[in-house]
Amino acid sequence: MVSGPTTTSLSLSSSSSSFLFGFNSLKFSQRARLKFIDNVNERKFTFAPLKCIRISGFDSCSALTATEAPLAPSSELVSDKLHRLATEFRALHEPIDRVKRLLHYAAILPPADESRTRAPENRVTGCTTQVWVEAELDESGRVRFRADSDSEISKGFCSCLIYVLDGADPEEVAMVKANDLSDLNVGLHGKSHSRVNTWHNVLVAMQKRTEALLPQQPQCE
Amino acid sequence: MPSSTLTLFNLCCNSIMETVVHKLPSFKLLNPTSSSSHYCSTTTTTRTSKSFRVGSRRRSFSISASASAVREDNQALGSVSLGHITRPDFPILHQEVNGSRLVYLDNAATSQKPTAVLNALQNYYEAYNSNVHRGIHYLSARATDEYELARKKVAAFINALDSREIVFTKNATEAINLVAYSWGLSNLKPEDEVILTIAEHHSAIVPWQLVAQKTGAILKFVSLNQDEAPDVDNLRQMFSRKTKIVVVHHVSNTLASVLPIEEIVLWAHDVGAKVLVDACQSVPHMVVNVQSLNVDFLVASSHKMCGPTGVGFLYGKSELLSAMPPFLGGGEMISDVFLDHSTYAEPPSRFEAGTPAIGEAIGLGAAIDYLSRLGMQKIHDYEIELAKYLYESLLSVPNIHVYGPAPSENVDRAALCSFNIENIHPTDIATFLDQQHGVAIRSGHHCAQPLHRHLGVNASARASLHFYNTKEDVDDFIQALNDTVNFFNSFK
Repeated sequence: MVSGPTTTSLSLSSSSSSFLFGFNSLKFSQRARLKFIDNVNERKFTFAPLKCIRISGFDSCSALTATEAPLAPSSELVSDKLHRLATEFRALHEPIDRVKRLLHYAAILPPADESRTRAPENRVTGCTTQVWVEAELDESGRVRFRADSDSEISKGFCSCLIYVLDGADPEEVAMVKANDLSDLNVGLHGKSHSRVNTWHNVLVAMQKRTEALLPQQPQCE
Repeated sequence: MPSSTLTLFNLCCNSIMETVVHKLPSFKLLNPTSSSSHYCSTTTTTRTSKSFRVGSRRRSFSISASASAVREDNQALGSVSLGHITRPDFPILHQEVNGSRLVYLDNAATSQKPTAVLNALQNYYEAYNSNVHRGIHYLSARATDEYELARKKVAAFINALDSREIVFTKNATEAINLVAYSWGLSNLKPEDEVILTIAEHHSAIVPWQLVAQKTGAILKFVSLNQDEAPDVDNLRQMFSRKTKIVVVHHVSNTLASVLPIEEIVLWAHDVGAKVLVDACQSVPHMVVNVQSLNVDFLVASSHKMCGPTGVGFLYGKSELLSAMPPFLGGGEMISDVFLDHSTYAEPPSRFEAGTPAIGEAIGLGAAIDYLSRLGMQKIHDYEIELAKYLYESLLSVPNIHVYGPAPSENVDRAALCSFNIENIHPTDIATFLDQQHGVAIRSGHHCAQPLHRHLGVNASARASLHFYNTKEDVDDFIQALNDTVNFFNSFK
């Protein structure tokens, strides 16, 4: 059983050798740490919180290196995707263009199986529109999301959040803050709360459902 | 309009635009070929097509009232309508939102305030702000006088017999809670019945649910008829000796329907039941006479009738208020306080614990002065015409359903319309209207979830007018709505 990941001294098991892909000249732990330092700017993301996460079937290295996720369709970190999305929306100066972009994202959201996704237990509370979110873990322990809404704009929000979070590790999902989304600033005048609520509510719903998928953790220090 | 005059207007506009755009009432450029153009430009353009938004943002501009060349079929909605005359009094209306002239159509949620009210508030705080009722000094005496004068104004406005029948509260919601907790808890017994309609605002339903739980009383709900208005026949049949109180709206904030309060009061009093009327959507828009209606209780909010937020009132017949125990306890509502008990003041003080919203009540008084100067009958007549125009214009939008009864000889609608358009979520509509057109409407359940559930929808969009709205506001709204529908349909 793993003793919990630490920042500097790691014992690598053979299953983690595949994570060394692309970083040949550095020790594994140093590379991983550098990658995190790169993204540390707004969020104080350190390894410490990961100590508490013991995902059954995973060794400590996988938890640490999950953010590199070489097995995922894209090797981007959640933070990179957020950043990319925020940049994309920030470049749209007219509020109406941001609405249109959201509608575009709504259109490319994979159609949900309405009878399944729109079940009452999947409903996200607090939104003025109806939004449903489903989460499950795939065989690699990453979170897969499905979402639907009766509003095209809300569907666009869901689509953006799914782009960022689908296929991420549970820890990454937990790390995203509503503030990270404020740059997407759609339908907001300044930083008013009404539209932020939909983002916030759906994000929180995704995080809660993710947490519910994990086995119960013992109390950490 | 001759083309030379048009050119002259254009020249004037270009030079005065920067200086007067926010000072004069905003008028439409009166273009014989289009009833709703906003631009001051060398070619006349309309609002609808986005392709005309080239270069600089659209600007609203101001010209004098003498350019009233529009011939309207309906005299009342013409260019010197009540809306046009009163708009200058409301500074907030003269602004742009997202590059378009603000078109404020959310009056059922809250109304705008005329300068007279803003001045009254400012003057209170600048000249005589002081705590009321107990003070000896000059400022306190003046504040008390003005506060009590405001109470008299409210009483006169709804034709109450005595100003002591007016209790100032925070808003109508608090006023209903006052009746529920004070009158309800001491008068309702197990199996007593409270009649409401499914179209009531949550503030008229929830307090009675809470009190019914405590007392064992039963709530009975009147449903809608096939015209999507409360079924008055059904209501009449619900009355029995068990009925103790009827709690109904005067005007529905979603259906725009009007209930026959005088008749309902007759039926209620026949069986010994009381009547509480939620007049939030009626007092601001029409003459409400509590003596001729003969209601027992009536509530309204200041902020819906051009007054400030933070104050509302309960009207209650003297004999009823005198028999009611206190609701909130504290200063002002007491007579004497001992350690083991207290004695209470007479109404209305008995129900006004703590320092009231003094400035706000005085502001409400100023709002009542303003409305009275215009004349509530005149306001009502104008809004009836505007209501019909809004309703008919909305029906021209494809795939729309407007809730509530259709206006007719016998049926007046309030100047509001809640609606849904097939396949487009009302929140998406409201967002697009705001972002692209500066049109402010509301989307949601309008604090009437049971009603929406009955109608089979989660939410609706709602446009609601007040006397300072104009026919042009409605025209702009409809154009913007059509644009919105086209936009969303093109994405499918």
